[in-house]
Amino acid sequence: MTTAQPQEDRAASRVAVLESAAAPSPAARPRPSQENPDEKVHTWPYLVRIEFVGALLYLFLLSLMSVFVDAPLASLANPDVTPNPAKAPWYFLGLQELLLHMDKALAGVIVPGAVLVLLAAIPYVDHRRKGTGIWFYSPKGVPIALFSFAYTSVWNVGLILVDQFLMVPGEQGGHGIGPIIRYWLHSLRQGGGYGFLTDSVVNGIAGWIVPIFIMLLIPTSLALIVRRRWQADTREVLIGLFTFFVASFVVLTVVGTAFRGEGMNLMWPWQVKQANH
Amino acid sequence: MGAIIRWVKSTRLFRSIYREGYPTTPRTRVAVILNSLALHLHPVRVPRRATRVTYTWGLGGLSVYMFVLLTITGVFLMWYYIPSTQDAYWSIRFIESEVTFGQFMRNLHRWAAHGMVIIVFLHMCRVFYTGAYKPPREFNWVIGVALLTITFLLSFTGYLLPWDQLAYWAITVGTNMGGATPFIGDQVRRMLLGGLDIGQATLVRWYTLHVIFLPLLTIVLMSLHFWRVRKDGNISTPVLEDEPEPPGYPPVIEQEG
Repeated sequence: MTTAQPQEDRAASRVAVLESAAAPSPAARPRPSQENPDEKVHTWPYLVRIEFVGALLYLFLLSLMSVFVDAPLASLANPDVTPNPAKAPWYFLGLQELLLHMDKALAGVIVPGAVLVLLAAIPYVDHRRKGTGIWFYSPKGVPIALFSFAYTSVWNVGLILVDQFLMVPGEQGGHGIGPIIRYWLHSLRQGGGYGFLTDSVVNGIAGWIVPIFIMLLIPTSLALIVRRRWQADTREVLIGLFTFFVASFVVLTVVGTAFRGEGMNLMWPWQVKQANH
Repeated sequence: MGAIIRWVKSTRLFRSIYREGYPTTPRTRVAVILNSLALHLHPVRVPRRATRVTYTWGLGGLSVYMFVLLTITGVFLMWYYIPSTQDAYWSIRFIESEVTFGQFMRNLHRWAAHGMVIIVFLHMCRVFYTGAYKPPREFNWVIGVALLTITFLLSFTGYLLPWDQLAYWAITVGTNMGGATPFIGDQVRRMLLGGLDIGQATLVRWYTLHVIFLPLLTIVLMSLHFWRVRKDGNISTPVLEDEPEPPGYPPVIEQEG
């Protein structure tokens, strides 16, 4: 046993072994040259000092914010008074936005669940090592990401606007893609001969099939465009698809947070602010 | 002054804490990483490019840092916070108005929580856009997705605790979403609420999740995450051509067999 050996010696011998293995020239060389990015530098101090400064800077900024901006505290919880609108924390407002457009099981559980599973599956779809450690992989990476972000945003904003401003004919003020499909299918049934269009079938089409179709249409068309336009490989298509996810999250969160006010209706951010106070 | 410092450094206590002096030589710079609990998560040497801020933006490190900051400010708040529907709101008011640095610590806790959600999300984006999830790091990406989910849940469970209108109705919306789960929606909602409505049982449940269960789970998964970073070859460095298999992968067991 080596228990009798002093701690210092043991540490020193580990160091000696490691140094002789890793360092080509153990001679003192305090400052590494600037050119070669593959050159190994000592973690202490070259990485540790960056981390330390970063931590201090971040603590300083957070402290500054904490001095000047107070955390919100509304009045005591009251089950009898429902605020209008009742909103989840901002990072779930993208999901709450989805709830307005489709069946709540689809928007609240299945879509986020599927997103997490698909995210986790990324490395098993794109399993080539090439491109590791390189921002945006290839010269096509940035254009694909920018295109995907714009394409997705236009789709998202467009669909939200259509759902808000497409009016159901005849009825008392209903709007949206789902209600219009319900309206058409109901009038088909009343026209006769379409007895299979029960209420649950109608709801299934309007609340599930059409939203799923649209949610698949956007990334599928995006992947096809990226493949055609850029002759993209798997990694580049995935850059497009991941950006689709990021852009959707950002757009839905921003709309849900800043553009949804009373009755979860679309309005300008300053009108939302007035409604909250 | 110099004499005092030299005396302090020569004491048995000081030498038991810092076995080496200030690391200035290559040898002592290696030792300081090997002999420190926090720093030994790093390799002794890193490629120069790994010290470039614009590669990682330090987002992984900042995520941990937020977690530590949230633990410290969270424990401070726990000294005063009472998880009962009668007292919760008033204990927050007490922290804000009576406790020294109370308002500051609550603000710091709140903003760091939002900061952590944003930083963890950005960290995921960074790892994706630099292709750092590629083999042999696939499973660490999966652990990362789990950590992202837990970050959301940590923040969300904390949202109920002030027991104000904001909290109460946000949790109403959130648990209704969970209650929409196909087939087992009612059970999920009952589990989240600890009953049929938001009440004392919900508060205790979410408090326990927020201060015990989810932080412990985070610590376990974070340890695994960091350990895997080291085992999978430290921070990712550029791979320009496809290699069939990186050295040491698949696992050593196969080579020994």
